[in-house]
Amino acid sequence: MYKATKLLLPAFLWCGVVHGCPFHLSMETRPTFLEPIILQVANQSNGVTEEHFLGRTRQLTYAGKRTGEGYFSADGRHIVFQSEREEDNPWYQIYMMDLDTGETERISPGHGKTTCSYINQANDRYVLFASTHDDPRSLELQKEEMEFRASGKERRYSWDYDPHFDIYVFDRETREYSRVTDTKGYDAEGAYSADGRMIVFSSNRSAYTEELTAEEQRLLEADPAYFADLYLMNADGSNVRRITNEPGYDGGPFFSYDGQYIVWRRFSEDGVTADVFIADSEGENQRRITSFESMSWAPFLHPTNEYIIFASNKQGFSNFELYLVDREGMKEPVRVTHTDGFDGLPVFTPDGSQLVWTTNRKGASQLFIAEWNHAAALEALEAAPARRSGSMEQDT
Amino acid sequence: MRFTKHLAGALTSLVLPTCIPADALSLREHVEFLASPYLEGRLTGTTGERIAAEYLSAQLRAKGLMPLQGHESYLMPFDFVGGMSDSGSTLSLLARTSNQMFAGEAVNALSFSNNGSVTAPVVFAGYGIKTPDSSETPYDSYHGLNLEGKIAVILRYFPEDTTGDFRRELSRYSGLRFKALHAREAGAAGLIVVTGPNSPNAGKTVPMGFDTSVAGSGIVAVSADASFGESLFAGHEKSLQQIQDELDDGNPHVSGFELPGKKATISVEIEREKRIGNNVVAMLPATDGVSDEYVIVGAHYDHLGYGAGGNSLAGQDEGKAVHPGADDNASGVAVILEMIDSLAGRERDRHLVLGFWSGEELGLIGAQAFADEEVVPSENVAAYLNLDMVGYVADNSLTIQGVGSSNEWPSMIERANIRPGFDLTLANDPYLPTDAMVFYQNDVPILSFFTGAHEHYHKPSDTPEKLNYKGMDRVASLVAAITGNLLNAETPPVHVAVERSTQEGSGRSMGRVYTGTIPDYTAEVEGLMLSGVMKDGPAERAGLQEDDIIVEFAGQTVANIYDYMYALESVKIDEPVPVVILRAGERIEREIVPTVRK
Repeated sequence: MYKATKLLLPAFLWCGVVHGCPFHLSMETRPTFLEPIILQVANQSNGVTEEHFLGRTRQLTYAGKRTGEGYFSADGRHIVFQSEREEDNPWYQIYMMDLDTGETERISPGHGKTTCSYINQANDRYVLFASTHDDPRSLELQKEEMEFRASGKERRYSWDYDPHFDIYVFDRETREYSRVTDTKGYDAEGAYSADGRMIVFSSNRSAYTEELTAEEQRLLEADPAYFADLYLMNADGSNVRRITNEPGYDGGPFFSYDGQYIVWRRFSEDGVTADVFIADSEGENQRRITSFESMSWAPFLHPTNEYIIFASNKQGFSNFELYLVDREGMKEPVRVTHTDGFDGLPVFTPDGSQLVWTTNRKGASQLFIAEWNHAAALEALEAAPARRSGSMEQDT
Repeated sequence: MRFTKHLAGALTSLVLPTCIPADALSLREHVEFLASPYLEGRLTGTTGERIAAEYLSAQLRAKGLMPLQGHESYLMPFDFVGGMSDSGSTLSLLARTSNQMFAGEAVNALSFSNNGSVTAPVVFAGYGIKTPDSSETPYDSYHGLNLEGKIAVILRYFPEDTTGDFRRELSRYSGLRFKALHAREAGAAGLIVVTGPNSPNAGKTVPMGFDTSVAGSGIVAVSADASFGESLFAGHEKSLQQIQDELDDGNPHVSGFELPGKKATISVEIEREKRIGNNVVAMLPATDGVSDEYVIVGAHYDHLGYGAGGNSLAGQDEGKAVHPGADDNASGVAVILEMIDSLAGRERDRHLVLGFWSGEELGLIGAQAFADEEVVPSENVAAYLNLDMVGYVADNSLTIQGVGSSNEWPSMIERANIRPGFDLTLANDPYLPTDAMVFYQNDVPILSFFTGAHEHYHKPSDTPEKLNYKGMDRVASLVAAITGNLLNAETPPVHVAVERSTQEGSGRSMGRVYTGTIPDYTAEVEGLMLSGVMKDGPAERAGLQEDDIIVEFAGQTVANIYDYMYALESVKIDEPVPVVILRAGERIEREIVPTVRK
């Protein structure tokens, strides 16, 4: 049963979208009777603090109104992220920072909406991202948004799954862009494989090519993400193949650093909850890793492939925290962060020694970095109780 | 005490400067020297300050830095008033048949008075307040009065029974310097201030206080006690009590009046002890020697001496003790000395100036003197970086203040912090109670580095062993990185004019209302976080404590220190007002009884 849901989010919450954060629930739609239960769960931290896993936590980015979604190059010396830091563009643009010098270069063209970048893991000369800059109206829309914001109004956050989103690859040497998807529909949330030859991404293109029933047409208008599924393609955009075909929004896929696995999250059909999934590198052998009865998204594998880190609002609608789960989902997830507000979009450095994530713990959302305690993570996962339900469920 | 003074004297005359160690000293060694008891707290104008200045000069010389162009020495002296005393000011009231003289306890010169003698007819001018013409409810005590060449008699403070915004407005313009200015502009030749029977400190004279500016206010001004008030209005149709009652509701139409037949003679003799402080300034010129632009990095090196000047937070049991000022601000000075080698060894497109200011604790007077002198015109200063109290790096955190002074700062800071890796707190407000404000007010983009207030702030216990020297070393690398980027940036940061939250919020002066709260200037919270409360002060009596966050005061929401100061302006002395605090997230309501600031 599908219930029409609103794509609304309180303005204080950052949600970089997409590598998986489509908020299908507004504050208004959260049943109030859940409140006491949520609070009770929130207080169960068993005396474990985030210092158990994280050392020397510190803010990494400071510029602009907000910054989020940081991803590393294979050598860990560059990070690419999205940030609202230019006065003439109200939307995110993509930037790449040299972690030796702190110098930052803009990767995206400076207009249009952009999101979801990733550095080619075989050669950091190439960076992919999703953008609407080829939409002939993009400059006009940008101006409208600037005027809207200048009027002092604040939009409640909503991600519109603009069908003009396509995936582009920027060549840092030639400074040229190549468009690697060219299909009507939302193409975004891309990530490279370890050898840099493949891109996995999310797209709702099928809704624009297949014949829709009246009910499906209504669904598309209410929630275009419902039709999103995962696709694989060669890094130049050739050989596109669909690897999921289930109701509900599949998105936010990442390869493991060794290229062996793909992790992603799938929303329930009604868009209320999401869980973490894993598959082998060509999309085969898909299995569900969590049954966490909350919005669990943005999964990312530790480079040892021993466990996955992800974000979930188990503690309350707007309190996203980071959790760990073992790679095959044999155990219940283990909570990592204990800070009110938003903690999400976690990424390990390629050597596994540090964690970068997006959080609004000190005000506007920015990237934070901390030393990662791998031994403590393994120990906590070992001690976690067995998964309560659905552990052996095969979802396809 | 005598012994140490003697020794310090010997140090200056005999030992300095040849025996000051200056080879590759560590941060700790710099702090230990500057905060040693022999420097007696480095009060501006004292021998201890002078020894510190010589020490800094020796370090700069050893590192091969030059004095500023056109200067022989690193020392840049400035004059200030180091102390003042009333050496027998008098006041005489001359009526038709009598001549009454007031002296001693009954009369006190105001600290900003000119010296001299004036005899003239007396005019009573109410509270002597003039609010701006743009006010919603303008108030002018001088309206309709002719004061030309006469002596104005006015009441201290402001109409006592007023409330709300009007009270706040009147309170804002009730400072005695303001009042003296308006009296002078109205043509008055002299000013006598009386504290009315309805006011706090009723009938008392105004303590002389301390005014570091050398120049007088252009008017002869005294305060006089109740005996003068009585004599002045003797034979008048109303007593001072009745006169004040009529004024106290703030009705702007209650006017002052002449006192026919009454004349006064005011004689003021203030001895201002003029002293000399020293800024210590050096420069590393641009690599090719040619540039119009300067980057200045500075830290004050003076401190509170024995804590006699009123800024000390020493407990009464601590007596008269040296305030070593290890964190405040030997720490900032040491960090700059530490940075010099890395900055000297690189290419520079702009000149780098290093300024060690004195007189900061007396009211930013050293930095102000430097700015006023225009040795380096402020329009040529690309940016000013300030370090004031950077010795308490804890949990990898560091606060950078004044970030709102330029839009370019956040990205410059982001870049420079990649290697040091602090968990930074960026605070925007450029109106800071430290030297950076002088530069900001001259349209220079500023940053000020600060590791936070603490329990040893302005106390004899601010000693060197409490500092985190490894942390300071990392502060040095961050400040050096930002400085390096500024020296070579293609375009310097652009100054942003930030509106000041209050008109009169000059940081240190909090008006006449005293609550005994110690605000935490680093906390970025909604409300006013306290880093402590004064012993036996109103806040402590109300049960407030460290880390409480004041969110409401006297029924007004408090989002920041300015809101708090604003709320303070509307309350009455000795009358309980509600205060709401957050303590560990819990909302607690208390009652606080503000007292009069002594």
